[in-house]
Amino acid sequence: MNASVLAARTVEPGAAAPAIRFANVSLSFGDRLILDDISLDIARGEFVSIVGPSGCGKTTLLRLVAGLAHHSAGAVLLDGVPVTQPRQDVAVVFQDYAKALLPWRTAAGNIALALEAMGVPKPEWADRIAALLDMMGLGKDADKLPRQMSGGMQQRLQIARCLAQSPSVLLMDEPFGALDAITRQVLQDEVLAIAARQKVTVFFVTHDLEEAIYLGDRVVGLLANPGRIAKSFKVDLPYPRDQLTSREDPQFLAMRHDLFSFIKHG
Amino acid sequence: MAQAGPSPLLSSPGNGGTRFDPRGLLLPGVLLAVAELLALLYVPADSFSLAAPHQIAVELGRLLIDGTLLIASLETLGSAIAGLALGGSVGLILGVAFGLSPTLDRLMSLSVEALRPIPPAALIPLSLLVFGFGFSMEIAITAFTCTWPVLVLTRAAIGETEPGLMEVARVLRISFWRRATRIVLPGAVARIFVAFRLAAAISLIVAVTVEVVANPRGLGYGMMIATQSLHPAISFAFLAWIAIVGWAFNLALVQLERWFFNPAGRA
Amino acid sequence: MRAATQLFWFLGSLAVAAGFVAAWQAICALGLVSPIFLPPPDAVWGALVAGFATGDTLANLAATVARVFGGWLLASAVGASVGALIGVSRRARIYIAPSLEFLRPLPVSALVPIFIGILGFSEQMVLTVIAFGALWPVLLGTVHGFSAVEPRLYEVASTLRMSRLAVIGKIALPSALPDILAGMRVGLTVSLILVVVAEILGSREGLGYAILLAQRAYRSADLFAGIALLGLIGYLTALALNRLEARLIHWR
Repeated sequence: MNASVLAARTVEPGAAAPAIRFANVSLSFGDRLILDDISLDIARGEFVSIVGPSGCGKTTLLRLVAGLAHHSAGAVLLDGVPVTQPRQDVAVVFQDYAKALLPWRTAAGNIALALEAMGVPKPEWADRIAALLDMMGLGKDADKLPRQMSGGMQQRLQIARCLAQSPSVLLMDEPFGALDAITRQVLQDEVLAIAARQKVTVFFVTHDLEEAIYLGDRVVGLLANPGRIAKSFKVDLPYPRDQLTSREDPQFLAMRHDLFSFIKHG
Repeated sequence: MAQAGPSPLLSSPGNGGTRFDPRGLLLPGVLLAVAELLALLYVPADSFSLAAPHQIAVELGRLLIDGTLLIASLETLGSAIAGLALGGSVGLILGVAFGLSPTLDRLMSLSVEALRPIPPAALIPLSLLVFGFGFSMEIAITAFTCTWPVLVLTRAAIGETEPGLMEVARVLRISFWRRATRIVLPGAVARIFVAFRLAAAISLIVAVTVEVVANPRGLGYGMMIATQSLHPAISFAFLAWIAIVGWAFNLALVQLERWFFNPAGRA
Repeated sequence: MRAATQLFWFLGSLAVAAGFVAAWQAICALGLVSPIFLPPPDAVWGALVAGFATGDTLANLAATVARVFGGWLLASAVGASVGALIGVSRRARIYIAPSLEFLRPLPVSALVPIFIGILGFSEQMVLTVIAFGALWPVLLGTVHGFSAVEPRLYEVASTLRMSRLAVIGKIALPSALPDILAGMRVGLTVSLILVVVAEILGSREGLGYAILLAQRAYRSADLFAGIALLGLIGYLTALALNRLEARLIHWR
């Protein structure tokens, strides 16, 4: 990826309502408390990483914003509007990319699915699909079926389809968890580039602490049983982020140390 | 032809468990009630072709008590199982042979593909010619029909033996016979059992078919006689009983398979 | 396998089959089996040719094939539609699926006497029997196919706010297609069996009735010829369905 594309990011100052707001949100399943009194504001254009051990409810939080889950108490608001069902301008990138793609459609066809749902006029499809595929480095793979693509390519395709929704909010649920380390790093930088260029609000769930710090403007740490916010700090690392230098930055190492011991000892 | 599937009512679709869901009884209950109502309103008691559920129930009870259904069931099941044993054995031997020897398989493929698609019902007149009425003609047709699914599935099961194991066997120079019995067969046994389960379901269907068309034995014949002598309640009673027998037979096979292979955690 | 090797093996299996036919001819020539039970291959071939020459065989063939296809296509259309409706709705499945599963092992031939009782020995009866018999495998296959759609895809559809119709047409149907086709394949086998059953019982012109007449008159060559034709129909229809399946499910 071209370094100049990884331009400085700006979080819009003084934006009116937060893009995403959790106000005292609790969620119970039967007699189990999954989420306990979560309050969190995410500003427009902000990139927030949500970390925590397994079972802390971070995926559940994401699904609440997506409209795929429902809270028991409190309020979940998108641009000040309560979330009751999914919205077309909120795109979700799932971890199990193979299951989230249509195996019988080509890469182009999978992106077309989003365009069809959005009601985009058919003459515009070819250009949009080509642009999205190029953006995700899949320009030559338009006619490939998902099973003919590697894991990394499939996840790129899912992201491309999500971008076809022209989303204002991008929800990513451990999107790189099933990929190898090198592919993961490449895609991390691509996501940063997309976030900078498209000016989307990103809600990024991961269990990889370093990834959380590397990507985010802010990191929110959750503890489990019940799921609750126990830590939240800004990431003051300079943009553009770089896999080598950012990860060696003393601030990065300090935050990493902090986060590791927090997760370990609660 | 029906496929042998999981037991109804004892498992809900979408979960592998065995939970009895009483909601499944609602639909049949409603349909029976509606049928009873319609029959009372529109079907005269001496109708030649239709009967009310309560009449059918009465006949079912009578036929069970006087042993007619039991004898007929034994005749049908006997033919089916005999045919399964005969045809299944042939299919098993051929399936193992073809599975172990791709050369043999390829050379025989045309012959197998020429015989396999023959509808079993088409063989009824031939079987009648050769054997006349009786159990032999029924068992012959059932055996022929059961041979093919067992052959095809056994061949596939053998063919999917872990290639690594076969390589080890070759390196150790294990003889063909020992390779077959010690390595290939044990791995394939579970799938061969499934093949037999499928063939068993087919055997019952074919047996009833042959009885309906020609053979004066068993449940199918009982049904035909009732229809031709214009006793619809008896005819439907036989039908209900055939459904029950089919269901119970299938259930028994599934349980048998589970009992054999439970340690492997087969769903 | 390369085309040349494929051809080699095909010729090999052809040679083996020809060998069996030659053995058959020899057995008959040696008089080991009565010609009433086992007519020699040349007699069967002669019966086939003669039958086509008079046009009788063609008429029977046409009648049988028309019934099979008519009944099977109708059954597939109805079975797929109803199966889709049931399979897509979880509530429908809870109430309906147990009954369907109970009926799954029922030998379809058992319904033939019932239909004869209601419809007599008419052409209607034949078509109804075939259609009814082929309906169940298609219905069951469709219900299974629609109930086994990857749930994640439904979530994707949900986040895209796809309409219910779009979900069924673009996600559920392509996903269920392999199971629907598998059901249709079984339905075709059932249709072939039932057409013979119905033709024999109903004495309706067709290949089934033809072989019945041949059997009664001890014309074994005609009998074998009829069986061969029925086997051929089975083979060709299965082949055609395979080709169709390969094209529709190219993504597997």
